[in-house]
Amino acid sequence: MANPAVSLREPLIAGRKTSAQVSRDICAVLDRRPTALWWSAFLLALSTLLLGVAAVGYQISVGIGTWGLNRTVGWAFDITNFVFWVGIGHAGTLISAVLFLLRQPWRTSVNRSAEAMTIFAVICAGLFPVIHMGRPWLAFWMIPYPNWRGPLWINFRSPLVWDFFAILTYFTISLVFWYVGLVPDLATIRDRTAPGLRRRLLSFLSLGWDGSQRTWQRYETVYKLLAGLATPLVISVHTIVSWDFATSLIPGWHTTLLPPYFVAGAIFSGMSMVLTLMIVARKVMRLEDYITRQHIDKMCKVTLATGLMVGFAYVIEFFTALYSGNQYEQFVFVNRALGPFWWSYWIMVGCNVAIPQLFWLRRVRRTVWAVLVISIVINVGMWFERFVIIVTSLHRDFLPAAWSSYAPTWIEIATLAGSFGLFFTCFLLFCRFVPVIAISEVKGVLSVGRQFDEPLPPPAGARPLRAVPAAAGAVAQTEATQ
Amino acid sequence: MSRRMLLGFFERETDILDATRAVRQAGFQIADVYTPYAVHGMDKAMGLSPSRLPWVSFLLGLAGAGLKVWFEFWTTAQDWPVNVGGKPWNSLPAFVPVTFEVMVLFAGLSTVFAFLFVSRLWPGRKVRLADPAVTDHRFVLVIEESDAAFDAEKVCELLTSFHATRVEERVESEKEAR
Amino acid sequence: MAGERTRQAQQRNRRNGSRFPGTASPPAGSSGEHEELAVGRRGFLKAAGFGLMLAGCRQAPLEKAIPFLIPPEEIVPGRSLYYASTCTACPAACGLLAKTRDGRPIKLEGNPAHPLSRGALCALGQASILGLYDKWRPRNPRHQGQDTSWEQIDAQIMERLEGLRRGGGALRLLTGTLNSPALEAVVKRFLAGFPDARRISYDPVSRSAILDAHLQTHGKRVLPRYRFDRAEVILSFDADFLGTWISPVEHTAGYREARSPDVETPRRCYHVQVESRLSLTGSKADRRIVAAPHEHGPLAVQLAAALADLAGESFPGEVQRNEGLAQRVEPLARMLWRARRRSLVVSGSPDPAFQTACNYLNELLGNYGRTLELGPASRQREGDDGALAGLLEELGRGEVGALLVWGVDPVFELPLEGRWETLLEQVPLMISLDDRLTETCGLADYFCPDHHYLESWGDREPVEGVLSLLQPCIEPLGRTRPLIESLSAWMGDSRPAYELLREHWRSALFPRQRQETSFDAFWDRALHDGVAQIEPESRSFSEARFEPRMFGDGSREVSPAEGEFSLVLYPKVGILDGRHADNPWLQELPDPISKATWGNYACLAPLAAEAIGVREGDLIRLGAVAGQGPELELPVLVQPGQHERVVAVALGYGGKATRRFAGIGPRWLEAGETVGNDGRVGVNSAPFIRLQARHLVYSGVPVRLSPTGERRQLARTQLYDAITVPASLALPGGERRPAVKEVTWEELFDPHLPVEPGTHSEHGSSQDLWPDDHPYTGRRWAMTIDLDACTGCSACVIACQVENNIPVVGRDEVRRQREMHWLRIDRYYWGQGENLRVAHQPMPCQHCQNAPCETVCPVLATVHSAEGLNQQVYNRCVGTRYCANNCPYKVRRFNWFDYAHEDELENLVLNPDVTVRSRGVMEKCSFCVQRIQEAKIEAKRRGVELRDGEIQSACQQTCPASAIVFGNINDAGSRVAQLAQSARHYRVLEELNVKPAVAYLKLVSRPDPQEEGHG
Repeated sequence: MANPAVSLREPLIAGRKTSAQVSRDICAVLDRRPTALWWSAFLLALSTLLLGVAAVGYQISVGIGTWGLNRTVGWAFDITNFVFWVGIGHAGTLISAVLFLLRQPWRTSVNRSAEAMTIFAVICAGLFPVIHMGRPWLAFWMIPYPNWRGPLWINFRSPLVWDFFAILTYFTISLVFWYVGLVPDLATIRDRTAPGLRRRLLSFLSLGWDGSQRTWQRYETVYKLLAGLATPLVISVHTIVSWDFATSLIPGWHTTLLPPYFVAGAIFSGMSMVLTLMIVARKVMRLEDYITRQHIDKMCKVTLATGLMVGFAYVIEFFTALYSGNQYEQFVFVNRALGPFWWSYWIMVGCNVAIPQLFWLRRVRRTVWAVLVISIVINVGMWFERFVIIVTSLHRDFLPAAWSSYAPTWIEIATLAGSFGLFFTCFLLFCRFVPVIAISEVKGVLSVGRQFDEPLPPPAGARPLRAVPAAAGAVAQTEATQ
Repeated sequence: MSRRMLLGFFERETDILDATRAVRQAGFQIADVYTPYAVHGMDKAMGLSPSRLPWVSFLLGLAGAGLKVWFEFWTTAQDWPVNVGGKPWNSLPAFVPVTFEVMVLFAGLSTVFAFLFVSRLWPGRKVRLADPAVTDHRFVLVIEESDAAFDAEKVCELLTSFHATRVEERVESEKEAR
Repeated sequence: MAGERTRQAQQRNRRNGSRFPGTASPPAGSSGEHEELAVGRRGFLKAAGFGLMLAGCRQAPLEKAIPFLIPPEEIVPGRSLYYASTCTACPAACGLLAKTRDGRPIKLEGNPAHPLSRGALCALGQASILGLYDKWRPRNPRHQGQDTSWEQIDAQIMERLEGLRRGGGALRLLTGTLNSPALEAVVKRFLAGFPDARRISYDPVSRSAILDAHLQTHGKRVLPRYRFDRAEVILSFDADFLGTWISPVEHTAGYREARSPDVETPRRCYHVQVESRLSLTGSKADRRIVAAPHEHGPLAVQLAAALADLAGESFPGEVQRNEGLAQRVEPLARMLWRARRRSLVVSGSPDPAFQTACNYLNELLGNYGRTLELGPASRQREGDDGALAGLLEELGRGEVGALLVWGVDPVFELPLEGRWETLLEQVPLMISLDDRLTETCGLADYFCPDHHYLESWGDREPVEGVLSLLQPCIEPLGRTRPLIESLSAWMGDSRPAYELLREHWRSALFPRQRQETSFDAFWDRALHDGVAQIEPESRSFSEARFEPRMFGDGSREVSPAEGEFSLVLYPKVGILDGRHADNPWLQELPDPISKATWGNYACLAPLAAEAIGVREGDLIRLGAVAGQGPELELPVLVQPGQHERVVAVALGYGGKATRRFAGIGPRWLEAGETVGNDGRVGVNSAPFIRLQARHLVYSGVPVRLSPTGERRQLARTQLYDAITVPASLALPGGERRPAVKEVTWEELFDPHLPVEPGTHSEHGSSQDLWPDDHPYTGRRWAMTIDLDACTGCSACVIACQVENNIPVVGRDEVRRQREMHWLRIDRYYWGQGENLRVAHQPMPCQHCQNAPCETVCPVLATVHSAEGLNQQVYNRCVGTRYCANNCPYKVRRFNWFDYAHEDELENLVLNPDVTVRSRGVMEKCSFCVQRIQEAKIEAKRRGVELRDGEIQSACQQTCPASAIVFGNINDAGSRVAQLAQSARHYRVLEELNVKPAVAYLKLVSRPDPQEEGHG
């Protein structure tokens, strides 16, 4: 902490906060009654969610035919949304785990909400592989459980099975990681709440945290371990998602480039989603001191970096196809750029490669509204990236006679909207009931860039003490749960 | 027989770090230190030995992976071998992804549970705080008055020299001892 | 003898009802509205209880039926019986074997013993079984639209006929081609009972001109039997003989025989097709000459003249000298001349003058008696347009006292400006004897419904001397009565059809045969085989003579003026004249060329479409030039290979019967309708048919086209037609997809040219990443499809649909590319204009050894069998569709909805050996695994080795060109193994190393023979 490199930075946390202030500021949101703004946002999100629920309900009761798919294009919106949401999730893990390992103190202000975002995104993602099935009620057949069919097990050679395990693990680990990080903060809130149901609940959830240094030490170890596990995990998850395509033999899918390409893309889209959320959150929840322009600036840089990787992948795809001399490969990519779905391709390139270049300019990175707009644009672009990969590869593959087209139905569009509804509903609830910023971690980095604070004056009345009777001492003890 | 404790209350991270170091050098026995956040360097200051949790993580991760790869082999190549796309009965490379995921799952969960176990944390555990503000902003150093030779006065001075805002002595009975 | 045993068996079975093959009669109470009636499985079994009662009160037809193949001791449930019968879906009268299961026919197969169809059946024939279970079929005689009983209706009719007889009024029996000896005999007797009675017959798609021409030139009104199998050069003027002309199955078989490169002495027949639109036949031609209808006449005459010169004769008809044309026909003439006595000229023209020209050509080339025979002649068409015209005049003069109609539907087929309605109104007594409610039936006073042909006894004589028997395979489902019984009943003769038939055979036909001494033996064998050969009546033909007048003025069709198009009405494969347009299978069968389903459309050449600024799916109005007259609104289909000045429209659509398809297919929020705004499928183009100089004219009407601005998207199963990728998206070298491969005749037979060996990369050449854990030691099923033989006739598609219980999904689902056919036929174009080349590529599941679909299925719902089958486990499938995505051939089909078979009666056609798939599961071609199992079990039961050819997939069985070969490739002796050595052998997308079990034989391109001057 005392290394000059750090100290020369401008303060991470503005407004010379003290620990006490930090707790107060962050918990303030939870104590306040929900604002009208929150309510309206929440209702909007909720109604979108219900729309989605209706759409999915209809689709499950009537048939998957209510989607615009056909014999040639067997996947479109469903898996596009799946990959999109998994991607969103990745930024959370990146911020909480990778940046933690990289000792990036600025992450502390955003990791909590980023992790929450991960969890909600993974929930949204996890839905699609289930509802995209012809017979969703049999989804549990993906689980290798002993059965009376032989027992007939599952096909561990299938990328979909890999997916299943990847998503399962990713969700569990993210959840645990998030909760472990939450425990000290829950304790903090517990101790600022008046006795009552809320306090009971909190002390139940905070597992009796008492800030013992011994626990803190183990806690740090666990946190490091989880971070260490989550980092390869996050890479593996999107790698496996990319294998859904890479291990197939459909031109445009069948390429070794996909895993790195997908991981970069995931972080790219995730980061932009974090930006979107944070920029709104900090304004609404008055947390500008904690999520400063500096944070935004840093996230913009990460976005730009990953964006460049993605752009590079776009180029390499074409080169590989061209160089392969394989007519199917070549055609798929020409068809992407100039075929019937050219517009989706150029939306993708525009949003993911062209526009993010603005992040080279410091002025843009520091202009909050600009960042907000760009981050949204990137989200759109990344959704289209998945759409392009899936649909343009499928709709014109090997045999021209089987070529086909694709157009979504309203049911599909409503389902996509619904997934956003679910995501924002969860996120808004999170903002209400959980400290959006990791209190204890922020306290840990308060001093960053504040080395030269004047020392506290020596406390007055530090008189030699008189032995206090044990009984009195006992009184001084606090019972957490009474 | 009961234990006597001496508690020093601090407001600043740096103070308690120094105080802890000093108290330890002075040869007193530090019961524990309570802080609102993980104070870096404190474990050294207290002279705590590094946690052994990584071992749990490593071993159970390994176990999970081993178990899974065996399970995949058994189900695919032994229990009910099926010709799938002309792939060999034992398609080891295809088993890797799931194996990895399960390894992470095992390692992660086991680590967390081990942590909760060794730090005696569980839902609804009765907590006894050294100070109500210890999860907020206060730092507390707890020294055990182990032997008769313990001189409370001297320690008190020592602590105050590190800007301890308050020093207090407590007695707790054996059963409450942690 | 076998027959005897079975007969007893039948009787035994009759007593214990449920086994009795004929218990599918309508249960009591269900005989109300014909559309109400539905015999579900339960009803079926209930009715079984009435077995004895039914047997008691009515003639049990199966009493004398004789199963084909192996005569069983008992009808074992789950075991199929095959009854030889004859297909009457069209007058070609192909032989068939009706596969019956527990007393109901479930599948029709070609009868290998049949001399004409040789074991094949066309799409129409395959689909015709559905007509039997058609719940809209009339089930009771009707008077003035009211159901009544036969007793009443007979009494009334006989009374009225008696009155007519005494009054000396004219009675006319209007039929289609009726080539049934027994029926004809009865008809003759019936008509003889009246002072003035005649039978008039016409064919909705008329071939009358051919017969009329022969009446002129050879003195007898006969239809020659065309022997394509003997031809070495075929010149066809618009005759779609592989698709819809006279006897497609027979012609296809012959055509293939004449062009087979795989026999010891390879036969290379050269085929020139002169046509204005791209027909199925044209798609196989070695050379297409694209000419507008009005150009055909002059072309033929010029050719005739040129040949006359070569023959050193003088052409009787007068010829307008036309150098350009002469230039064009000259090489043709020489080619034909070189191949004289081995060539064949055919024409689809309804113009006798034109046909006369063809006769002249054939005569000149000495083809009579060789490639076309007048004795024994064909009886597959007998329609007489002249007689029809005569009838219309009589009707106009109100001279007809009674009109009996059977087998035709003039009101729908030949509206002739709606003349029929008005004329038929005035006929005092009109009786319809059809087996379905045609639009003409609506005008009849009495409706005496006929049996479905699978319910009735009967005979056919498609070619003189070739008798083909019909025997019932099921108890009639309704209170219907065959024509032959009705007529004889009105003569006071109440004998059942069986008696009448047998009687005629005994008296008239038995004497004309040599093989058998006793009639019973003759009968039993005929019944067993389904066919019998007898001496044709000897006919004498006058020496062919040609007079100038016969040739007319060379061309009847007028050339369309600037901005006009000449309309060509054509019968479409499967739909033909529209008699079977009520058959959902045929409606959903993609047209072999356009790949469009559910409705007709206006075919325009690309240039023409450009000229009037329309693209596929735009609605255009088709109107007669002279203001008034019929008008049609049709969606455009851009058809390469068509003449720029021609607009082609299919016949047979827009009938009342198609109203039943309203509401077919899944119902959901965004579902589209199958029927058009008028509630019918397609538009009836028949109003454009003209009766001109006593002949029906189908083409050459000049019409104006005007875009309406509206659109109606076509439901096509193939959206991209070319084998080359769009030019704008192609990189050098990647233009053409190698799915279809070609080899020239020379490459094939020139010893100097290196022949690339078959079975490449079957072993070795491509390295595998994996160790091969799956050696196929036992049987290994494989299929070979000969692209050169395949004409795209689509019989296999329907055969597959019947065999495998494939649902009909309706227009909207097809439009969404969700057709369910397990076997699709890819049709590819390459080249331009007259050099347009077409390939038909049947594409079933390829049963890849390294199946990409299997690897990706998470729940092991598709796996590989030890015999090399790629199996789909329906009840394990959760429907991720990953397999379909990963299938490079895109042959997997998904149940997007519950494509339920709601129609309980129709469900009787379901094959009990094949699961009906539920919603949300994947399905695909199974190589007819149920047939494989059946044959294996049977062989095991009999303790014999399974021989090659004993297992035939449904598609293979029905293929008229025998383009499909299925068998065990591990058995070196099997045909499929031998074909794997062929120089034409290749696999589609071989480079993917998925190792498909289906292989293809390359197309053979046959250059113009004169170019390498052999003759």
